Amino acid sequence: MSIQYKTIKELTLMLKAKEISNKELIQETFDLIESNSHLNAFVTLNKENALNKAKAIDNKASDLSLSGIPIAQKDLFVTKNLRTTCGSNMLSNFIPPYSATVIENLENAGCISVGKTNMDEFAMGSSNETSFYGNVQNPWGENLVPGGSSGGSAAAVAAGIVPAATGTDTGGSIRQPASLCGITGIKPTYGRISRWGMIAFASSLDQAGPMARTAEDCAIMMNEMCSHDLKDTTSLNKEIPDFTKNLNTPIKGLKIGIVKEFDLSTLDNEVVKIFEESKKHYESLGVEFVEVSLPNINLSVPTYYVVAPAECSSNLSRFDGVKFGKRCKNPKDLEDLYIRSRSEGFGEEVKRRILIGSYVLSAGFYDAYYKKAQQVRRLIKNDFDNAFSKVDLIMTPTTRGSAFEAGSMNDPIQMYLEDLFTVPANLAGLPGISIPSGYVDNKPLGVQLIGNSLQESQLLNVAHCFQTSSDWHLRTPSSEIR
Amino acid sequence: MDKETVATISYLSRLAFDKDNEDKITKDLENIIKFVDQLESIDTSNIDPLTSPLEQTAKTRVDEVTAKNRKEKFLQNAPDANEDYFLVPRVVE
Amino acid sequence: MSWETVIGLEVHVQLSTNTKLFSGASTTFGAEPNTNVDLIDLGLPGVLPVANREAFHKAIRFGLATNAEINQVSMFDRKNYFYPDLPKGYQITQMEKPIVGKGSIMINVDGVEKLINITRAHLEEDAGKSIHDLFDGETGVDLNRAGTPLLEIVSEPEIASAKEAVAYFKAIHQLVTFLDICDGNMAQGSMRCDVNVSIKKEADDVLGTRAEIKNINSFKFIERAINFEVTRQIKILEKGKTVVQETRLYDSVNNETRSMRSKEAANDYRYFPEPDLLPVVISDKELEDIRNTLPELPKQKEIRFIAEHKLEESEAKILASSKAMANLFEDATSKTKDSNLIAKWLVGDVSALLNKDNISIEESKLSSDNFATLIERISDKTISGKIAKSVLEDIWDSGKDVDDIIKDKGLVQIQDESILENVAKKIIENNPDQVEAYKGGKEKLFGFFVGQVMKETQGKANPQSVNEILKKLLA
Repeated sequence: MSIQYKTIKELTLMLKAKEISNKELIQETFDLIESNSHLNAFVTLNKENALNKAKAIDNKASDLSLSGIPIAQKDLFVTKNLRTTCGSNMLSNFIPPYSATVIENLENAGCISVGKTNMDEFAMGSSNETSFYGNVQNPWGENLVPGGSSGGSAAAVAAGIVPAATGTDTGGSIRQPASLCGITGIKPTYGRISRWGMIAFASSLDQAGPMARTAEDCAIMMNEMCSHDLKDTTSLNKEIPDFTKNLNTPIKGLKIGIVKEFDLSTLDNEVVKIFEESKKHYESLGVEFVEVSLPNINLSVPTYYVVAPAECSSNLSRFDGVKFGKRCKNPKDLEDLYIRSRSEGFGEEVKRRILIGSYVLSAGFYDAYYKKAQQVRRLIKNDFDNAFSKVDLIMTPTTRGSAFEAGSMNDPIQMYLEDLFTVPANLAGLPGISIPSGYVDNKPLGVQLIGNSLQESQLLNVAHCFQTSSDWHLRTPSSEIR
Repeated sequence: MDKETVATISYLSRLAFDKDNEDKITKDLENIIKFVDQLESIDTSNIDPLTSPLEQTAKTRVDEVTAKNRKEKFLQNAPDANEDYFLVPRVVE
Repeated sequence: MSWETVIGLEVHVQLSTNTKLFSGASTTFGAEPNTNVDLIDLGLPGVLPVANREAFHKAIRFGLATNAEINQVSMFDRKNYFYPDLPKGYQITQMEKPIVGKGSIMINVDGVEKLINITRAHLEEDAGKSIHDLFDGETGVDLNRAGTPLLEIVSEPEIASAKEAVAYFKAIHQLVTFLDICDGNMAQGSMRCDVNVSIKKEADDVLGTRAEIKNINSFKFIERAINFEVTRQIKILEKGKTVVQETRLYDSVNNETRSMRSKEAANDYRYFPEPDLLPVVISDKELEDIRNTLPELPKQKEIRFIAEHKLEESEAKILASSKAMANLFEDATSKTKDSNLIAKWLVGDVSALLNKDNISIEESKLSSDNFATLIERISDKTISGKIAKSVLEDIWDSGKDVDDIIKDKGLVQIQDESILENVAKKIIENNPDQVEAYKGGKEKLFGFFVGQVMKETQGKANPQSVNEILKKLLA
């Protein structure tokens, strides 16, 4: 396929040079979706609208920055008149009457939304095994998980079906699948991207972000995705830079912190090797590594697993079978309507988290759990603030290992611990990026950079410099290096 | 985590489990709570809880009508409704 | 056994903003079901609330008028529970940091003044309406009201009787209407209250168990509900039993309170800070601006009416006591200068009609334009005072224009002295016996002649002129 594995930048050039028409590009995209249907990356396709939009651009060219580019949209963003399921049975028949700001921003920049990608139900999961619509396959190996919750988006990009996709990240749901699928994914500073139209999981942690083949493409996406939205009180009113402007700035002299309290010896040798080699690579680019201490960072996972379930237990109360979404058949009274609609509509992991959330907020437990967790959260944030007075960025592995086999992780807590490296950035509201940095048994592995508040440009700059001097991000599952 | 607590929080969450799952969910919850109990180990006296990572205050709205009447669309998408109201089984107060 | 009643009131005041607390949907009353509903009010997945600043301003006016602490940094919290008219499954309210803190308000019961302390007043969103009896076996949900801003005013448990409770509720009603933060229309649900009642022995320090009676929206019902509840609780305690802490509803048909059957009684609301809304900050300047533009309160108005219009204190008090009454007075005095006449009519005839029908001025058909015109027509002698009474009743019933009524019924006062003289002469001619008797000393018969002239002119003769003419003719 001529368009498979191409980046946004490459496709834009092809379209401008008329090497391919908009219609052909979109048609080939849908052919790729079809031929990769075993990945189960998509829940709903937008074929007719997409082709119509493509034809319109063929008739009247536009110079919008994403003109004609096929983008896959995570099924957590509401899309007007296009079914939005959030990976759940509860919303299997939900047709939103409005679109998320992120979707509108991207479409106003000319992109073509080809479909809604599969995801862990209500964004809860790290392997895309909790979706009502079935597991997503990692293009790098049969029966391997792509990571989650943005598993469908990650797989679609990794398989070269689309150059980029939108994801969301509450505890690592962009970065972790990016790592396991060998692509680049960035979670911006909390508040950079509007949450209007993003189905809420944990309101103080959720952030949208781009997932693409390169840092450069992520920067192009960021330029369009970020906006100050009056409909979202938590949307930042800070200047949005051109994220593509400083990609090539030399990174010599930058200080990157290594977290003292993260004991990497507990990870597989292969993983540590990739991490150490990345370090050497950055050093060759002039970066200096410094040890930093974040004394409370190892409490991030338990903190997260109090705060996130608490907020989600409340956010998901609106799914009650009354005004939208699924309702159980023949409810005999109101209580029955609530209990059966919700019990039938939600999967196991979602129910578990709702229960934990209700528990930690309930009278008698609030102080010991929720309040406590929010206090520890402040300590973790303070640790970061401290560290960033000494270094520009912090580097950690993104994940404990590469993609694991579907069905192999049955213990919820073991799954939660997978988030060790990613949740701290969500708790502190800081930006984080995962960059393809190596392979373990031909399975990709990413390394994470965490930046200070509003420093996405710097993260993308460092990632871009890494990518222009390495080829990890150029490998594809079909074993070719592009 | 005793059965009564699980029953209470299940009811608060309007969720129900069948016999087979009740035990599993109780065990899961116990383990998760035990896991998060680690937080007890750290001293947080005098620390202000962090509700939002943003150090900013709220923007507010001007008191002007901006909403459209979308009654038909809303009711159309409801699981049960007539032309005017959303419908649920009769509630007795 | 000497029992003491302890009452606390939680009054919910619907703020008269144009739009809801968190969305741009209209708050107009009486709209067709589910037409004043925005995406946000429906609680659709992905929506986010944005606070209405005007609601804060209105709340602050209340705070300033009750000498309360104003929390210039206030926050929102979520109160979680399930009910069909609560779309998100939680209500956004203010628990930890309400906009208004401790304040107080003076109440007056049978001439005795008492200061009642207010614990706090906070903003929260109203729920929609559940309609239980329209559909067979189903309950209908109308979300028009969902999201309307409420100011919940919580009193200290310092109210000692049903009478005091009514006086307190009335005082709040008067204040919020004068402050122009609520339209005060209780029939439309603009104000409702929950009453917490408990009984204790006078000697005890510890308060008794309280029962909460929810959602009462009339002065009359508050009094009745409390009286019933006090009796009920005393009966229980006298038997040596304990009162159950629960939520009850007042049944106005049977005049009793009943326990609410829903399991809401066992509810744990799991309050936590609302993560979608950041703290709202009111600047010092904003606060000053609100303070400087506070509408005139009853006491100030009363003083001004006495000074500007030379009214009696008792009249001024009545006119200043209700915003609508005060508005009527001021509108009318701007059109015609006869303040005393206006005051007399408002305090007298208009008040009598209001009491007879037991409605408020807003609910009557009397507009201030029409009333001003009525007074003008009396002043310029177009109609007599007596005729004016019947015109007022006509306006009261029909709402028709004064001038139309006068024209249609031909009520214009007969001022023409030559006409009146002719009528008087005719009457005198036709009643020789009475004339003789009168001239013979039966002075009371003067009234007879006056009456006859009036009858002859269908009451339209100018009474003073009739008097003068008859005196002259019968001399």
